[in-house]
This record gives sequence, C-alpha cells and structure tokens, in this order.
Amino acid sequence: MITNHLTVPAGLLLPHALLESDAFAALAAFVAINTVMYVALAVAKILPKVYVSDWIRRSNERSEPRGIIPENATNAPSEG
Amino acid sequence: MTKNRETRDRDRRPRKRRSPEAGGSSSRSAGLLIAGSVVAAAAALLTLVSAGGAMSSEAPVEGLVFGLWKVLYATEAPAPRVITAAIAVALALAAGVALLEQRIGNRSRRSLNINTKPLAPKVIMAATRGVYAGPVTVTVLIPAHNEEASLPLTLASLMDQSHPPEKIIVVADNCTDGSVAACRAAGVEVFETVGNTHKKGGALNQVLSQVLPGLGDNDVVMIMDADTQLDDGFLESAVRRLSQDRALMAVGGLFYGEEGHGMLGQFQRNEYVRYARDMRRRRGRVFVLTGTASVFRPAALRAVAQGRGLSLPGKHGDVYDTAALTEDNELTIALKSLGGLMISPQECTVVTELMPTWRTLWAQRLRWQRGALENLGAYGITPQTMRYWAQQLGIGYGVIALGSYLLLIMLMLLALDEWVWFPFWLGLGAIFTVERVVTVWRAGWRGRLLAVLIFPELIFDMYLNFVYVKGVIDLSVGRQAAWKHVQHPASSAAAKTAAMTTTPGSHP
Repeated sequence: MITNHLTVPAGLLLPHALLESDAFAALAAFVAINTVMYVALAVAKILPKVYVSDWIRRSNERSEPRGIIPENATNAPSEG
Repeated sequence: MTKNRETRDRDRRPRKRRSPEAGGSSSRSAGLLIAGSVVAAAAALLTLVSAGGAMSSEAPVEGLVFGLWKVLYATEAPAPRVITAAIAVALALAAGVALLEQRIGNRSRRSLNINTKPLAPKVIMAATRGVYAGPVTVTVLIPAHNEEASLPLTLASLMDQSHPPEKIIVVADNCTDGSVAACRAAGVEVFETVGNTHKKGGALNQVLSQVLPGLGDNDVVMIMDADTQLDDGFLESAVRRLSQDRALMAVGGLFYGEEGHGMLGQFQRNEYVRYARDMRRRRGRVFVLTGTASVFRPAALRAVAQGRGLSLPGKHGDVYDTAALTEDNELTIALKSLGGLMISPQECTVVTELMPTWRTLWAQRLRWQRGALENLGAYGITPQTMRYWAQQLGIGYGVIALGSYLLLIMLMLLALDEWVWFPFWLGLGAIFTVERVVTVWRAGWRGRLLAVLIFPELIFDMYLNFVYVKGVIDLSVGRQAAWKHVQHPASSAAAKTAAMTTTPGSHP
C-alpha cells in the first residue's frame, strides 16, 4: 500500500493527471451532454403528457358508430 | 385494371421467410445495423465534443456548508448553448418518434386497401356493415407444458371473473405431469397436441386450426399463459370494448409482477410498473400484445394465417410463426402490418411470474432481446416496424451512455485524492431521482424506496444492458440461440417451472 502511494502521489489508484488529460475531458463532455439529454427526457416523463391530437377534434371523430349491433342491422335482435 | 392493381400490390409485399439461411442473414443484418448505428452516433458526438469548448469549468474551490462543513466543490457545467442544444435534440428525437408513430398509425387506420391492409378499420367496417354476428363470447386457450402447479390458480382467476369466459381449453403440450388430470378435475376442456415440436407457437397453431373455423365474428379468442392470473374486470372490460367497436381486432393485457423474490423481484416489479405507466400515457396504444393474456377477434387471426408465407413471415395457414422466439411480439407486428386496430386498456391487468434468480432473468431477457431483433430482421424496415427499430436504437445508445457515465464516475473515484462536489450535476441527479420515484409510484413504498436510491436500479439497468449487448453480438455473429429448460424450486404455485423464456410467457 505504501509503495502504491509513493508511485501514485495524488489519486487513490490512478494518477491525478488523468483527470487533466484531453481524453478524459472528451469523455466528461460526452457524458455531460448525454446526461443533459436524459434529464430532458426525464422531465418530460415527470410532467403530465400533452395530447396534441385532442386539440384537433375533427381528425378523431368517427364517421359512423362502430358497435357490434349496427343501426339498421338486418338480423339484429330487437332490444326491449 | 383491378387485376393490375392486385398484381402490383402483391409485388409490393415483402416476401420474407425465416429459413435458417435467409432468416439468419436478415437477423444478422438487424444486429449489425443497430450496433453500427448507435456506435456511429456515439462516435460522432464524441468527436464533436473532443474539439473542446463544450464544458466550462474552473479548479475546485473550498467552501463552507452551514458555516461548519468544509467542502471542495467545482462549478463544472456544460456551456449554456450546449445545454440548450442537448435538450432540444433529446426532445426533438422523442417527439419525432412519437409523431412518426402516430402518423404511420393514422395512415394505416385510414387505409382502404383490402390486399395490403385487410384488417384496417374501414375494410372491416365495410365487410360487417349491417350484419349482426351475435354477442361477444370468449374462448380461452391456455397453452400448458407441465403446469400442474400453476394451472389451478390460473383457472380460478378465469372462473372468478365478473364476466366469465364461455369456454376454456387448456392446450396440453407434451405434458408429463398431472396438468391434464388437474384440468379435467376442474371441469375444463383439454386439447392434447399431437407430435408438436414447435413449442408454444406450434401447440397454439394446432388448437387454432381446429377452433377458428367454427367461430363467428364476435366469438373472440383469448390466449393466456398458464402461469398468469387475470385481475377481476379484465374480461368484462375486454368484452365491452370489443362490443363497442367491431373494428377493434385485439385487446392486450398489462402485466404486473407477482409478489416475492426479494430485491430482484422488486427490480422487475418496478420495471413493469413503469411499462404500465408508459402504456397509460400512450392511452393504451399497443406496443406488444402480451403473451400473458391477450384477446383476439377471429378475423384477425384468420387474416394473419392467410398472410403468412406471403406478406408475413411463417408458414401459410399458421397463426403463429413457429420460428419466432417471442411469438407475442411477432404476432403484434403481424397484426399491425395488416392494419389491425388494437388496444391495451388500463383495466385489463394480469399478474405474471417473475424471474427468481439473476441467471433465469438473464436467459429470459436474452430470449426477449434475440426474439425482438430477429422479428425486426424478418420484417425489415417497414412503417409498422419503425417504432420498434427506434426503440432498439434507443436502448443501444443507452448502453453506451450509461456505460460511459459509470466509467467516468469510476475513473474520478480512483483518480481523485479528495472528494469534490459538483453542484450542477447534483442538481441534475436530483431531477433523475424525482423521475425514478414518480414513474414507479404505483409500486408502493418498497418500489419507491428502491427507486430513490438510484444506484441499485442503475446497476440493474446495466445488467439488462449486458444482456442487450450479448443479444446483439450473438445475432451479429450468427450464433445459434439455445434455450435451456430450467426447473425452479416450486416455492409457490406462481414460482413455477420453465419460466425463463418469453415476453412474459411461453415455455421453451
């Protein structure tokens, strides 16, 4: 353990200089951008969902009833 | 003119078959396409940020918390323009996929083409206009392979429904235990398969070939697993919806995990609760008609059988494609491809078994993963499969994102000599925590407690990511899928044998 500390002066197991390398900076930036993207998606999941199609009524209206007992069915049972 | 049009339509139909060679290569392409795309996307972003300027940071400084606690903190954060761009890209991608799915769904729903979309609502409406085919009746088919322990509970959940089924048929497939006797004792009809070597799909094909011809338009078929219990109200709700809408071709269930199995069980319950929440937010728009319990109109199953070997993968005349590892996912894509309208309402819930060990979970998920990718390979890139491709790409990118995040944390822990706080990232972490807890709220306090700890679930996610990577690699190198039949210790009726296999469901 002592030898380890002597050979790696600053940092638990890896040299401290690693954190200042270009590669580490690129990894950190990559993770940072991904994290922000996933946080944006997380916020979208927390918030109530907005259904845009609800605002456009016409596209959701059915042109005819769809029940299994169609109006004017020739062989539908009489009700009541 | 009509003939020309028909020929053209027929020619347009993809002719795919999952023969060992052709199917293997299309599946392999699916694996390579997904792996290549996500690696390319990640590499492009990494190259972009390597140029520098994405992050603004200063050396850590010392501060005092409450005037007492001395801490080192760093104000490292991405530049505001980078944050804005990242948020915009994420939301645009999510909205883009949702809009695309909706557009494709609408177009399919409005189709009038009887050749390519024989199950489209307008086609079905035209065919059934003015005809009353009687009230909705339910015939339940339960494929069973040595399910003696779980069948009594399954049957009881069916008979106790507020709207019990008209008929229950247990499809005994190569049973060597007391399954058949248990069914007969319960007064349930049993169909014993003959020479079936195609597992669940083969067993169902045999019984459906006998049952389907005698069913009217409103005599619906429910196919459910032998290890699943329906919550009360499932059938009542399904029958109501199928009565209200004769163009509705299928009603799928939402599955929840059974109790038990410690923390591993809770991970899976949380996962299923989140899936159900997503489905509610999709207003029941089906992603997968779960094999645990789904109801089909006979016309839908007949159209699939007709389409197999022509526009759909599989053997002509079979309802199920016996080459598919996840037959419920495959059948869903088949019905979507034919324009069928379907829904998974939130009242239709089922309780299904969970994997009791990490090893069985691994096998189950590897099968799901392989199955989903192979199905995509078999269908190719079509409007109906776009959403599934996008999901696979999303998972793939998530593997890289989460992996690089954990790598970064590990490097920092090993290279820092003193702990440094990052307020910006802690703030984002808090948002994640809220999201984890909110999305799993219905799982109760145990589920919320697990979610608030964040890291256990991240590790569970990472485990599933390893399964995903293994699935993609196996598929890409053309490794054969081999499935073991694992016997579980029967600690409860629900923790039954042969679990490790499907989209909650089938036996190997």
